[in-house]
Amino acid sequence: MVTALPPDSPTVASRRLHAARALWRVLAARAGRLAASAHQTWRRSLQLRVVTITLVASSLLVGGFAYLIADKITSILLESAQTDVELRLQHGSDYAGKQFRTFNQPQEAQFQDTLDGTVNYLAGGDPTQTNGVVVVITGAGIIARTSPATDIGPLISPQLRTSVAAGNVAHQIDTGTLGGRRTKYLVYGSPVPTNFGQVELYYVVPLDRQDAAARDARATVVATGVALVLLLGLLAALVTRLVVTPVRVAARTAQRLSAGLLDQRMVVNGEDDLALLAASFNQMATNLQRQILRLEEMSRLQRRFTSDVSHELRTPLTTVRMAADLIFAERDGFDPAVARSAELLQAELDRFEELLTDLLEISRFDAGFAMLDAEPTDLVPVVHRVTERLAGLAERVGVTIELDLPDPPVIAEVDPRRVERVLRNLVGNAVEHGEAKPVLITLGVDQSAVAITVRDHGVGLKPGEEKLVFNRFWRADPSRARQTGGTGLGLSISLEDARLHGGWLEAWGAPGKGAQFRLTLPARAGDRLTTSPLRLVPADAPLPFGGPRDGGLLAIGPGSDGALAIGPAESGDRAQVTS
Amino acid sequence: MRRRLLLTMLLAGMLLPAGLVGCGIPDRTEVLVDGRGPAAGAGSVNGSGSQPPTRSTTTDAREYINDYLAAAAGERDGAYDRVKKFIAPEAQRQLKKKQPGGDIELTVVRPLQPLDTRVLAEGITRVTVRVQQVGVLRADGTLAAPVAGDTQYEFKLGPAEPADQGLWITELPDVLLLSDTALGRYYSTHTIYFWNTDQSRLVPDWRYLPSTLPDERRVTEVVKWLTSGPSEWLAPGVNKVPPGTAPINNATGSDGRWEVNLTMPAANDDRLSRLAIQLAWSLPVTGQLDLKIQNQKRRTVDLRQERAANPVYPPLRAPERFCVYDAAIHPLAIGNEPVGSVPVAPAANRNVVSAGLSRAGDKVLAALVVTRPDRKQLLMVGAGPAPVAEFHSSEKPFRSIGRPIWLRSLDADHPFGLVVADGKLYRFDSGAGMSEILVPGPVTAVAASLDGHRIALIINGALYVVPVSVDGGLVSVGQPRQLVTRLTNITAVDWYAENQLVFAGSDGRQPAIYQTTVDGAVEYALKRDTGAPVSHLAAFPGGAVGPLPAMSFMYQATLAYRNNPFEKIEREQVRDVAANAKASDPTAPFFLY
Repeated sequence: MVTALPPDSPTVASRRLHAARALWRVLAARAGRLAASAHQTWRRSLQLRVVTITLVASSLLVGGFAYLIADKITSILLESAQTDVELRLQHGSDYAGKQFRTFNQPQEAQFQDTLDGTVNYLAGGDPTQTNGVVVVITGAGIIARTSPATDIGPLISPQLRTSVAAGNVAHQIDTGTLGGRRTKYLVYGSPVPTNFGQVELYYVVPLDRQDAAARDARATVVATGVALVLLLGLLAALVTRLVVTPVRVAARTAQRLSAGLLDQRMVVNGEDDLALLAASFNQMATNLQRQILRLEEMSRLQRRFTSDVSHELRTPLTTVRMAADLIFAERDGFDPAVARSAELLQAELDRFEELLTDLLEISRFDAGFAMLDAEPTDLVPVVHRVTERLAGLAERVGVTIELDLPDPPVIAEVDPRRVERVLRNLVGNAVEHGEAKPVLITLGVDQSAVAITVRDHGVGLKPGEEKLVFNRFWRADPSRARQTGGTGLGLSISLEDARLHGGWLEAWGAPGKGAQFRLTLPARAGDRLTTSPLRLVPADAPLPFGGPRDGGLLAIGPGSDGALAIGPAESGDRAQVTS
Repeated sequence: MRRRLLLTMLLAGMLLPAGLVGCGIPDRTEVLVDGRGPAAGAGSVNGSGSQPPTRSTTTDAREYINDYLAAAAGERDGAYDRVKKFIAPEAQRQLKKKQPGGDIELTVVRPLQPLDTRVLAEGITRVTVRVQQVGVLRADGTLAAPVAGDTQYEFKLGPAEPADQGLWITELPDVLLLSDTALGRYYSTHTIYFWNTDQSRLVPDWRYLPSTLPDERRVTEVVKWLTSGPSEWLAPGVNKVPPGTAPINNATGSDGRWEVNLTMPAANDDRLSRLAIQLAWSLPVTGQLDLKIQNQKRRTVDLRQERAANPVYPPLRAPERFCVYDAAIHPLAIGNEPVGSVPVAPAANRNVVSAGLSRAGDKVLAALVVTRPDRKQLLMVGAGPAPVAEFHSSEKPFRSIGRPIWLRSLDADHPFGLVVADGKLYRFDSGAGMSEILVPGPVTAVAASLDGHRIALIINGALYVVPVSVDGGLVSVGQPRQLVTRLTNITAVDWYAENQLVFAGSDGRQPAIYQTTVDGAVEYALKRDTGAPVSHLAAFPGGAVGPLPAMSFMYQATLAYRNNPFEKIEREQVRDVAANAKASDPTAPFFLY
């Protein structure tokens, strides 16, 4: 029920306006969503595209043909009617001319009779037999005669009358009420010369039969065309489906394969191209599976070999160690050269043992035997412990270790042994590469994670070396002999330890500006890391482009690969953001 | 780019069916000219006849009235308008307009000259026209018997306005008058033919057409007349065209090719061929005639050939003149005309008073009026090859028997004749069996036309024409129609031509012989003074045949005379007179044809 409200009420009007706007927004949003989903479907479905294109193209073609055919049928119908009427008109005009030729004045009573007789004769007498044709004789000075009697005023347009009065045979199609119903009709007019001027003869022929026939033909053509187009669309859908379905199956199989389900295969039906595709696909999958299994086997064998070798070496090494310890303990009794050798032996054995331990550790990681023994641990003592243990070395190389630790204890569920090992490794490296400059250890914590950064100011890392440093036995300068005690596996093991915790171990470095390593661990074991409490790049790190000028502005713009490019702002191209 | 192309295609795909639905017969188009229409061809010219006089500026009242009496002549539609030009505007309503839908009828009168004029006041003249009512000229061209009995009409004339425009009629009788001279001058006469009751012979019907009508209109008029039936007086003697026959529009044609379109129910070949013959004789044109029935061309008639192939009358032999001389029939030898032999056996050729002979094929029909010793008269009738020897006598004698005549029928086996005996009209057959035909009043004379379906009678001294039909041996006579003539006490009559009668009577002062048309409209004096009343009159109606001039007749006014030129028939011209014959004068001359 709609109640008519006074239209001049502003509140009502504004309410309506609001309602309309809301409705518009809803509609627009829905349309937008619909368009978006259609667009997505369009992009995703090959079948939809093929069917749509087929439908459009066949509609164009069929529509064009249908138009031609319907147009031709209409014109043929019309032409035949016109020829028919033209002949009748010609004959009628001749006949009327002969009939009227004997009269010299339009007032003669006989002429009036002749007019009536002629009209009736030309109309064929019986109105029911004439298919609604109306014959009209009119002219200046005579009363218009029609047969069958009808009002011709609205039937014959003034333009046609003017043209015929000017002596032309002319015709026109018009619409009007003829014989009690509204219909299209054809009017043909011809002048009939007489001795006293000219009268005009018109044939008014209803075209309803032709119109109905044209309509029927058109309906048939349109129906056929629509059916044809739909059929073509259906056909296209079917054909596309035949092609697309195996492709989809192949895609799904490939996805599963890539997910690791190597025994997924396609069903091969028949011998056609799609069957060939499936067979080839299956063959490829088999080959890939075989290769992957082989590589896996080789990798397993290699790790086993490393582990075995390490184990096998440990026993003779223990013996050698015991002997070496004995010699080392007795070195004071040897002459200085031998004593020196005993010291060297002792040192190298330490390194060897260390290397072996690291190898075994790595083997454990590789074999997947490494187990996390997590417990709530305060990391501050761990840091202290590490610095104390490395204090000697630091002192020796002239490096001061600075600590930046929070006052309250920093508790996290970690394996303290592994964390200590990681820290020891990082700090040891920093001290070793510190070039007598201070090393800063920072401990940060937030609700979900703890982080420790180790910053040195040594030679630093070249671009790209941030990742390489974690590789096994990687060296920044391969020509440099391994002087110091590192085994080359420390950072690899540290990385594995961090991973075992579900944490991150990352490096930053710049040539000549030192390096910083950051260990981030989840506060609770098993949690996923999202952010780190500390920055990887130190605050005093130089900007890649040398930094902005003092007081200069930075410009942030789109960079390559979706990254942001930051650089000094050009003069003039600035915007200010105020809070 | 690709997306735009796709969008265009989609739009086109949707628009095309829409466009398809749009195509079809348009609701309205511009006027398209197909070419020039037919140009006005040579219109038919008017008939060559003269136009009736229009109002002149004469101040002669007699001349003015004579013009007025002729003004209505011509095409009927304009008759009132033409006449009204003679009448002062305020007096025009004295002339009644025709009834709506009614035909304009002209009252044809014979003004007796000179017109009687009398000046009533300065410029006002009263003209009294004494008239003889001749008849009523109807729309179908027939002159019917007069309706009005007026013997005089009075007109008042005054000066017209503006003053120098002659005269005006200010008072007039409420009839459209037409003088007989105007009828003769501005109308042409035309004979159309109807079939007799047994469809064996054409009977002429006499009509008037305005002489200004062009040929096409004449053809149209004739066709209309034929379909609407014969003249009123002739109707009982002839057949109409089949009922329902009517012309569809005007007859058209030119250059000797005519087209007549008719509706005709049950138009079989028999009917069509009869109609074709009827048209061939009736139409006033020659050339080809396309006869269409209901727009279907059924027959093409060469009018001249059709006439030649179907003569109205059987061919006539050159007529031979005979007379009664010394109570016997004798041939007459006049000029270089062929002289016949008496086709009556000498045994029967005795005591003859008058005779009527007629040829019917090879036979001769002979009817003789003979006197018995008791001076009573008998009718002797015989038929057979010449000379006719076997005669039958009428059962009873009469005091006086007029000249018998034969109805020229096609049925030679059953000939009939008519005779006036003791003032009564009798029919007789070849066995001399007589039966009376009832006519109003005493009959003086009878004459038969060449077609044998019209007879002229003199009843009570007045001239009548009567249609006759012969049906299965029964002669029936229609209603007599009186013809208006100047003559009174008419004594003798005969058919002079197809539609002309010659008759004798008194013109008031002296006996005279006049000729008149079959409707009595136009009469001329042939012989103003015959010296004595004419007792016998015999004419040859067949026109000029052989050396005989057309319009030949012979009469007896005490003595026998002939025309062409008017001469007494001398005793020497009578042939085959026996040497011992008593000298007497030839009497009762007649033609055998």
